[in-house]
Amino acid sequence: MISMVRAHGLDPGPTQRPLSAGLLAGLAGALPALAILDSFGWFATLATLYGTTPAIAALLCTAGFSLSGAAYALVLGRGANDPLGGWLFGLACGFFLWMLVPVALLHWLPAWSGTSRPLLVGRPAVGLLLSALVWGSALGALFPPIHRALRAGIDPEPPEGARLGPEAATIPELGRAPEAGPPA
Amino acid sequence: MIRQVAYGRAMMAGALGELAWVALTLLLRTLGLPVPDMVDPVGAVALPGGDPLLRWAVGLALHLAVGALWGLVYAYFVFSLLPLPPVLQGVAFAMGPLLLALFVLRPQLRLMLAGAVEAGLLVRPALSRQAEMIGVPAALFVGHLVWGAILGALYTHPTGYPAAKPPRLPAPKLSAPRDLIIPREQPPPEDRFMFATGIEGSYPTIEHGRWRMDQMQSCGHYTHWRQDLALVRELGLRHLRYGPPLHLVFRGPGQYDWGFMDAVCAEMRRLGIVPIMDLCHFGLPDWLSNFQNPELAPALAEFAGAFARRYPWVKLYTPVNEMYVCTKLSALEGVWNEQARDERSFVTAVRHVAKAAVLMAQAIREVRPDAIFINSESGEFFQPSTPDPHVQRIAAFENERRFLPLDLLYAHPVAETMRAHLREHGMPDEEYAWFMNQGDVHSRAILGVDYYVWNEKLIDSTGRAQTLGELFGWYVVAQQYYERYRRPLMHTETNHQDAREAPRWLWRQWHNVQLLRQAGVPIVGFTWYSLTDQIDWDAGLAVSRGNINPVGLFDLNRDPRLVGQAYRHLVRVFEPAMAGDPTLEQVLARAAAPRGDGGR
Repeated sequence: MISMVRAHGLDPGPTQRPLSAGLLAGLAGALPALAILDSFGWFATLATLYGTTPAIAALLCTAGFSLSGAAYALVLGRGANDPLGGWLFGLACGFFLWMLVPVALLHWLPAWSGTSRPLLVGRPAVGLLLSALVWGSALGALFPPIHRALRAGIDPEPPEGARLGPEAATIPELGRAPEAGPPA
Repeated sequence: MIRQVAYGRAMMAGALGELAWVALTLLLRTLGLPVPDMVDPVGAVALPGGDPLLRWAVGLALHLAVGALWGLVYAYFVFSLLPLPPVLQGVAFAMGPLLLALFVLRPQLRLMLAGAVEAGLLVRPALSRQAEMIGVPAALFVGHLVWGAILGALYTHPTGYPAAKPPRLPAPKLSAPRDLIIPREQPPPEDRFMFATGIEGSYPTIEHGRWRMDQMQSCGHYTHWRQDLALVRELGLRHLRYGPPLHLVFRGPGQYDWGFMDAVCAEMRRLGIVPIMDLCHFGLPDWLSNFQNPELAPALAEFAGAFARRYPWVKLYTPVNEMYVCTKLSALEGVWNEQARDERSFVTAVRHVAKAAVLMAQAIREVRPDAIFINSESGEFFQPSTPDPHVQRIAAFENERRFLPLDLLYAHPVAETMRAHLREHGMPDEEYAWFMNQGDVHSRAILGVDYYVWNEKLIDSTGRAQTLGELFGWYVVAQQYYERYRRPLMHTETNHQDAREAPRWLWRQWHNVQLLRQAGVPIVGFTWYSLTDQIDWDAGLAVSRGNINPVGLFDLNRDPRLVGQAYRHLVRVFEPAMAGDPTLEQVLARAAAPRGDGGR
């Protein structure tokens, strides 16, 4: 996958704003995911276990989903713009996020909190998987239109630091050439 | 877009693999073997207390959906990347989902079902420890093997289509009145130096004519053509190399489907785009078979004449694109179309293609006497690696062969060794004489010299050609072509397969152009090819893999690449300096003047 993305060009492109688009798409995808988590009793379970309120748990989840959206955009770069495949990449992202974060943490947390059985069993566990998948596919599907709405036009001048002008022909790694031109 | 994927086929292949797995499980269970049911536990997650039959049906639906999804993952990220036959690729890929099933999903599924089991809604089948430790993993392993094999076998050819079942071209509504397409009187534009790009429009067949690799279809141009044309103008470009899809437009002798081209041409006119119409790009309509067909030349001449009559405002033409590459890959290297691998087939293809280019130019000039022909050819060079006479002879021969189609087109006498070679492989003396008597063809011709990083080759000590990269560069190679034909030049194609290197490559090519102009060679244009990324050119269009080559000014989502912005910058910086260049007519007139009076 990495070689595929690299071959495609890791740069997000001169007119793209991947971070903003990722944050917004992650946030937008969080809405249905939060609804699912709530309906499966996830926030209530978490609040009971850790002595907090469901609202704070929901806020933390929202932040997590948004930041994950930004990370998704930064990692996938230009690949995230694909209107056909975006939902699938997002779905995969949601699945891996579910594998890496909740599954791992919710199996470690019991040991840490002194309980002998996993925190989430039954419906809340189902809800967690479902919400991760729904969030991921929504993130991936919403990212391309959000990216299109946010992207800039092709600037007449290259952005500062971008080696797009005539100096792009040079090889900076070879060092600076001696001064050129007729003597003053 | 990171991959061209056949969505329906990938999902179908994944779902059918699941179905086969489930069917096999049912069969083995019917035979009394202790194979665990993989469907019911999945259904139980969705319907823990539901009717068992319904639960099983839901489980099956979820299994099929998951199989289809994994099919898409395979299509995007794994297909064709492993050096294995398709079935084994699928099997190798299936090991990934197998590991996830064993170590993540199965334990998680158990947790998800725990609540229902505790509430008495579900009864977990009691399995012995041996069955838990060996039986279930073994069943999962075999199931995944079956699934992967079927997925691998069914998912192939993500791009292109069966040559015998070509798609119908879209016939969009015209965006401009018809008189924009066929104007009564329109003064020709005063073309000077041309900053150009192109829509990649190759359409060769592979697998002995059974499969069509159609770049316009693969790259989405048939769908996004209007946007593509707008992007050309967005970059500040006016000239566009554009190939009507010959195999879809020219449907038989005297039969044309102009609907799509009418709309495209109207939009070009509306946007002020000047097309360089590329009438034959590496392929032929199915009914013309391949480049061994002696009827090819008159048929293509008929098409060229019909095209010129339909769009009389078009002035710039490429009758046959890269004749050398076309004939070499079709008739000598066995990659496209006839897929022959012998010298006689190669010579036959060259004869037919060069004759077609001559007759096409003549047919166009009957309609449009002031038409200009930009004969785009691949700029090649072969460097001998050692003084070994065998190696030297091969390099010398290949350095003659690269000119062969252009020699015939421009009535330039070939070297004696090449003349003997042509005679030996079936070219009659009368035919050679006919070519040498078509002296007027080149009078309206501009020679396009394409250049890529693989165009210069080393003949190694074993006599094989190996890619050198940029050894002498476009400057030297193009100059060799110029010295031979003394035609005005245009850099008609270049790009770089690595998107990060592309801006550097663009500027280095441009500096080659500048230096050759300063040396007095009349150069009338520069082209970054192509507007968008291409597909499967990393394999020379020899196989359908759906690999995207990030060579475009825009990617296939039509988002700009760095090189797009760099090219826009280049055009803005240098276009004013080119405004004083002579017009194409003036350049052609000077080139026609006696030698010594040439130059810019």
